Formats: sequence, structure tokens, C-alpha cells
Amino acid sequence: MFPQRNRSLFSLWFFVFSLPVLFLLFFPLGRLVTAPSPGSLLLAIKDTEVQLALLRSLLTSLGASFISLIFGTPLAYLLARRNFPGKRLVEGLIDLPIMIPHPVIGIAILGLAARDTVLGDILSQLGVRLLGTYTGIVTVLTFVGLPFFLNTAKAGFEAVPQRLEHVSLSLGAGQWATFFRVTLPLAWRSMVLGMVMCMARALSEFGAVIVVAYHPMLAPVLIYERFTAFGLKYSQPVAVWLIILSVTLFVAMRFLSRPVRDW
Amino acid sequence: MLEVKNLTVRVPGFVLKDITFEVKEGEFFAVIGPTGSGKSLLLESIVGILPENLAQYSGKIVWKGRDITVLPPYRRGFGIVYQESALFPHLSVKENVCYGLRYLKISSAHARERFNLVVERLGIGPLLERFPARLSGGERQRVALARVLMLRPRLILLDEPISALDPLFQDDIRELLQMLHREFGLTFVMVSHNLEDVMHLAQRGAVMHRGSVVQQGRIEDIFERPASTFVARFVGAVNVFPASLEGRRAGVGPLSIKTAGGFSARASGYISIRPEYLVPVLEGHGGSQIENCLEGTITRARQRNFQMEVGLEVQGVRFTALWQKDEALLKRLEVGKVIKFGFSPDHVNVFSDE
Repeated sequence: MFPQRNRSLFSLWFFVFSLPVLFLLFFPLGRLVTAPSPGSLLLAIKDTEVQLALLRSLLTSLGASFISLIFGTPLAYLLARRNFPGKRLVEGLIDLPIMIPHPVIGIAILGLAARDTVLGDILSQLGVRLLGTYTGIVTVLTFVGLPFFLNTAKAGFEAVPQRLEHVSLSLGAGQWATFFRVTLPLAWRSMVLGMVMCMARALSEFGAVIVVAYHPMLAPVLIYERFTAFGLKYSQPVAVWLIILSVTLFVAMRFLSRPVRDW
Repeated sequence: MLEVKNLTVRVPGFVLKDITFEVKEGEFFAVIGPTGSGKSLLLESIVGILPENLAQYSGKIVWKGRDITVLPPYRRGFGIVYQESALFPHLSVKENVCYGLRYLKISSAHARERFNLVVERLGIGPLLERFPARLSGGERQRVALARVLMLRPRLILLDEPISALDPLFQDDIRELLQMLHREFGLTFVMVSHNLEDVMHLAQRGAVMHRGSVVQQGRIEDIFERPASTFVARFVGAVNVFPASLEGRRAGVGPLSIKTAGGFSARASGYISIRPEYLVPVLEGHGGSQIENCLEGTITRARQRNFQMEVGLEVQGVRFTALWQKDEALLKRLEVGKVIKFGFSPDHVNVFSDE
């Protein structure tokens, strides 16, 4: 064993260098949460416009996370379990929404429905509009949140030992039965976690949303509007309510997806 | 019954080359070889669980005359038990055991009867409500066997079923496998690198080395009559020497060793002698009738389990002997001392080829 003094010094160095990070992460948020008075918070939540914006944010991000679950699960499974040509390219493309500036995402999504494109014509004939609609909002939120779901769900599938699937197949279960009886029950916590992360990303999205739809107004857009129109003091209570909503939601989902059996 | 014919399987970084062997009904067949020789890959090919995009096949796997090479695993009716049991961690023991029942076309009364029999014979009654994480290694293997037995498989494939267990449970599972083989007449193919398990359980087997079968036949023959230096060393016949063979004699360096078989023409080849067959010749203990009697210098003497592993050098030729610990013998086992030892010509295995 090396001397206790060296170990303490080592830990002290790391602790000292961690402080700026912790400060940067928690101080602004702590300041924000404690800035508005209880009275102004109460007043804000009684405001119908705030209630509707929070509800819209909640429902659209929930919608985005469910769409990610339904359409992202097969892709996450394929990426975890199969080799195919271009797999690396697909994995790279998945992470693209994390890197692109968010207004660009909004512009790209709107470009989908441009009238001079084949897809735009089809969408128009189907009566699907993206600009200023919930469809547009949910589309951009799915776009920005999907990488978080895919990567987390993929890691969850990878963590399921393939041998268990093999044993299931050898016991007479087909591929579907094996997926639903073995893979899914062992990976669902990762999928819920992926949904939580996707939803977190979607709830906080502003740049892409404001390009696609200023109205119907989501909470981040309302916060921005109040900040530009009335200043910091009026935007803070809404921001705090958005934080409270997010934290409550995530704690609840993490609680629901915790392991309850001893395996 | 099970025929593997010229099976070649290519997976990234490994090739299983031209494997051919046959397993008869009710037989306990062992596939032995060192780690990385392709044993588990062979087993997974027989069960049919290698992903299509990963493996390229040629050759055939035939079951009772029917080509099953491309049949999906859930239609083969083979059971597999892995070294680490591979129990479903989210299911109780009971749910694990009954996992495959719904895919069998049997009545619930019949299923219950079968369940009761399996639970009783494998002694897992008290474990049924537990989860795999709360089981010992031996209990897990019992449950994994029970899960397979519920389906009355045509063939049970065992991937190192004993080696990972604590010594305490090893005998337990060995005896259980022996009982299942004897009482239920099941056919087993077991992959193992543990020679003790193979000797204990299997009747016939195949030795694998770098993706190929290098010898197959009766287990006794593989252990007593290895056909190559690799097999000889792998099965513990560590005294392997290149030899010039003529008549009933093998020339090993300056030594002339009597063999059981005869050679009409002068040939070169190899001999192997198991270390257990080298016996010490002590005054007053007989041994003068031993035909190959040599006088060697002790180069090392160390305890190995309950035996002594003794290194002996005779005119530059180095032998290894495994001797039972005996008080009279222990007094003589001093490095540098000279001791007489010998072996019967019947125990000298002669082979021609690397």
C-alpha cells in the first residue's frame, strides 16, 4: 500500500479541479430556482398561457419519446445485434442531430415539406403541414431526441447476453418470442431511460422549435418571449416551472423503471 | 444418428475446418481440445444458433438421415447447457424450467407430469420460487439441465458444463449427468477441456486443434493411443519422443525401448508413454520383471494433487513420472539421486505422424 498522505493529496487535486465544473453546473440553476419569490411563482402557474405552454411542452416531448420508442427500438436492436454494410455510417448519422446547430434542424425539417419536392407534394396531398403545427413540433423534437433514445436503447440491447437469446431459440421459441420473452424484459429499463433522455432533450429544445412553430407556443419559446418582451424577472418563474416539471417527471420515470426484483 | 459431414464454418477470425464425426443414439460423445480450438463454435453450429450474417457454412449436419444444416434452432429439438448456465435472470426457477413448454404440443396434464418428474429427479423442488441470482453454481446447472429435459430433447449439447463449478459441485453434476445418461438413455455431446470429466462421462470423442478434428474414437483409445504429438501432450501422455522404429524396438536417442507392436522395415516416428505407466523399481519391491527397466537421475520431484510428479533423466532423455506417494519412495525422491524405473512395452504408444 502507498502512504495515506499521497492518496489524500491525489483526491484533493481532483476535488479542487472539480469545483469549477460543479459551480458552472449548479450555481446558475440554483440562482435561477431561488430568484423568483413564491408569490411570483404562484402567479405564473395561475397564468393560463404558462399552463398551456407547459402542457404543450410536456405532451409534444412525450409524443416525441413515444415515437422514438416505437420506431427507434427496431433500429437500436439491429445496431446492437446485427452486422450489415454501412452500419458505421448509420451509427455516425444517428449522432448527427447532436452536432448540428438546432435552427438548422428546424430549417431541414421544414425543407421536407417544401412544395417543390416529391415528399412535400405527398405530404401536402395528405394534408400534413409542418410549419406552425404540432406535427412540425413533434417532428423536430423527435429529430433532436432520437439519438439519445437510440444510443441508450442500443446499449441496453448490447447488455443482454446473446447466449440467453440462443438458449431461448434452442428451447423452441422463435425470434419474435425470444425478443418479447427474453430481450425486451431485460432491456426495457434502458429503453425507459432512453425515453427519459429523449424527452429531456425534447423538453429543452428551443432553436429548432422556434423555426418550425412560434405558435402553438411551447414553454421554452414562452420563456424566450417573456425575456425579450418583459425582461429577466418575468421569464424566471416560467423557467423555474419548466425545471420543476422536468425534474418531477424524470424522477418519477426513474423510480418506475428501477429494478424491483433481485436479479 | 447425428452426422457432421465435412462441416466448414467461417466466422470472423476463425475457421472450423472440414469436421466429420458421428454420434450414435444414446451415446455420450465428448469434443475435447484446448481453449480456442473451435469446440464451442462446433456446438453452436450443431444447435444452429450462429447468426447467418456472421457465419459461412459448407458441409452438412444430418440428424437421423435428414439434412438439418439450415434448419432454425427452434425446429431442431436439441437442448444446450452452457458453462455459465445461461438461465433467464428475470424469470424464477419454475418459469425457467417451463420456458419451452408452450412450444410443445402436449397436454397440460402431461406437462405437469413431466414437470414433476424432472423436478423430482433433479432435486430442484425447494428452488422453484427462487431467482437465478440466488442460486449456487451447482443449483444453476441443475436448473439449466431441468429446463432442457422438460423438452425431452433428441440431443443434449453441453458446453463445459462442469469446469466453472466449485469442486464441491463438480462431482454432483458429474453424477447427475451420468444418471441422466443411464436412466433416460439420452444422447449427449459434451464440449470440454477437462480430461477428468471426459474420462468419467464419455464413451467416444473427438479431439480438436485449431479448428480441425485431429483424432476421434473411443475415449480409452484417445487417452492410451494418441495419434499425434499434440493429442499425446493434450491428453497428458507427456513423455513424447521422436523415435527410429525397427522390429519391436524404438530407438530414442541412445535408448532402445521395447514396444508391443512390430515394424518390418526401419521407420521413423514417435512414441508416447503416459507418466502414470512409469513405475519406480525399488529393492525388495519387485519390478525386476519389467522389460523396459532404466536407471535415471531425479531432476525434479514435486507434489501434484495426491501424487508426486518426478522428472527423470536417462542419458540425456527426459521422462516425467507420476507416482503414488509412498513412504519408502519419498525417502528416495531427492534431486540428483539415481533411481530405477520401468514401463511395460504394452504402454508404449507408437505413432508415425505429427
